Amino acid sequence: MITVEGLTKRYGLRTAVDGISFSVGKGEIVGFLGPNGAGKSTTLRMLTGFLAPSAGGIKIDGIDMLEKPIEARRLIGYMPEACPLYPEMRVVEYLRFRAELKGVASRDIARRVDAALGQASVSEVATRIIGQLSKGTRQRVGLADALVADPPLLVLDEPTAGLDPNQIRQVRDLIKGFAKTKTVLLSTHILPEVEATCERVVIIHRGRVVQEGAPSELSAAPSHERRFALRSRASQAALEAALGAINGVRGFDAKGVVDGVTRLVVRIADDSDDLPERVFAAVAKAGLTLRELTEAKGASLEDVFSQLTHTDAARPAVASDDEDDDEDDDDDEDAKGGADE
Amino acid sequence: MRAIWTIAKREIVSFFVSPLAYVVLTTWLLFQGAVFWVMSFWFSQQDLGSGSSGANPLSHYFGGTTLFYIPIMVYTPLLTMRLLAEEHRQGTIEPLLTAPVSDAAVVIGKYVAAMVFWTTLWVPTLMYVWLTSRYGDIDGWKIAATYLGIFGLGAYYMALGLLMSALTRSQITAAVLTFIALGAFFILGLLSFLVTDDSMRSVFDYMSLWTHMSTFANGIVDSRYLTYELSLAALGVFLSIRALEARRYES
Repeated sequence: MITVEGLTKRYGLRTAVDGISFSVGKGEIVGFLGPNGAGKSTTLRMLTGFLAPSAGGIKIDGIDMLEKPIEARRLIGYMPEACPLYPEMRVVEYLRFRAELKGVASRDIARRVDAALGQASVSEVATRIIGQLSKGTRQRVGLADALVADPPLLVLDEPTAGLDPNQIRQVRDLIKGFAKTKTVLLSTHILPEVEATCERVVIIHRGRVVQEGAPSELSAAPSHERRFALRSRASQAALEAALGAINGVRGFDAKGVVDGVTRLVVRIADDSDDLPERVFAAVAKAGLTLRELTEAKGASLEDVFSQLTHTDAARPAVASDDEDDDEDDDDDEDAKGGADE
Repeated sequence: MRAIWTIAKREIVSFFVSPLAYVVLTTWLLFQGAVFWVMSFWFSQQDLGSGSSGANPLSHYFGGTTLFYIPIMVYTPLLTMRLLAEEHRQGTIEPLLTAPVSDAAVVIGKYVAAMVFWTTLWVPTLMYVWLTSRYGDIDGWKIAATYLGIFGLGAYYMALGLLMSALTRSQITAAVLTFIALGAFFILGLLSFLVTDDSMRSVFDYMSLWTHMSTFANGIVDSRYLTYELSLAALGVFLSIRALEARRYES
């Protein structure tokens, strides 16, 4: 449905998107993941024809976005980041306007607007003025706009930003409901979002694709360590001494002491099935008692994500170009290192 | 074609639900009322028969004095500043330009809306025509020519305002640029009173809106002037389309 080849966008000397290639098949729900400023929005803006790429090609269902922009855009329902709307219009007026603009036949407009209002669950605010709506409701009006012409492809830029937990769940359910009937490409920097809705993830960082695959594959890939979270009234030193007896212990992460209860995570490289029992036995053998012992699931998508993109966290947004390049290289090494472990 | 009308319709409705529209229309009519009163009063003081036969309150009101041009130069920016600058500021340009419509349709839609605003400024002035007709003879064709002149003037002014609105993200900047551009063109036209060289004078005369309007207000439909105004209008619209396209290549 979407084929992107070597997509690049330069702003002066700064390269916002650097030779991204990926494709999205019909009926897939793909998450576009990256920290803020990774180039997600710029990429989506090029995909939807709002920005022209500096280099590279985009095909939407085989139609070249650069050669036949209008035909290509007809296939896309796009919800831009921050969801800009005309504040002085009523919701239903806005959707009628958008439907007309998108070429919905006059006799179908009322039906399509009703359907979109229902799907995005904004029917009850249909006659309200957009400027008076909350951020979350406006966001859903934007979603209704994306749906109003019933396009085969939805491109949603941070569709759940600004929504409350209930609304987030609604939007996720809605998106999952499109599986097989529509193709969805959504961007987000919220990880659980991707794990909850997407079949495939493309992680981009500093304008490049750094990882691609199903969320479960990505989660499983980088680590064979298992992690056990313990709570005990014993001291941390005593627990570490007791657990040290187990083969394959890689290290401890102290999580602090609350109300006299020590919290500790132990990382152990061992695949055997009886490992939890051995952890318990090791503690008991040292004459200590446990309040809680939990095995944490394998590395989460969150870990993958932070491994791939961690250098971004504590850095000022504006860095000089030279620095940018150096750090990009570091990131690539980190990504490989993470996969090898 | 449908997209053009869709865009124009939305723009028109948005303008007329904004307080700006009513501030603009009210002050415009107050000012025009005052000007018309001044013209009528001045003519009522004249001896009958002493003036030239062509002069009357209406032909003076429509383009005979700077009282005609100054408000137009002030109000044009107010009508056009929102057109594209507001879309850029609000970010609504993004859903607009990712809809399956051409950049040309967007710009032409906006231009049609601006021409509707311009027309709304002038429709109430028909009242002065009616008032004058009650106390004297008026020539219907002359009035028609006058309004044709105003239409030509509007076509050109709205296109210039549209272009300025396409070039900037801020309404204020768009308004100021429009005002400066209109002022510059107007002054260029006035040079026809200053230069002595004949050929130069005819060039400035051709550009002078004052000459245009007084020609039309005296019932002469001069196609040279219409050509001038309509080609500038077309140029303005064309450049606005290019400016909008350039935004996609922004770097």
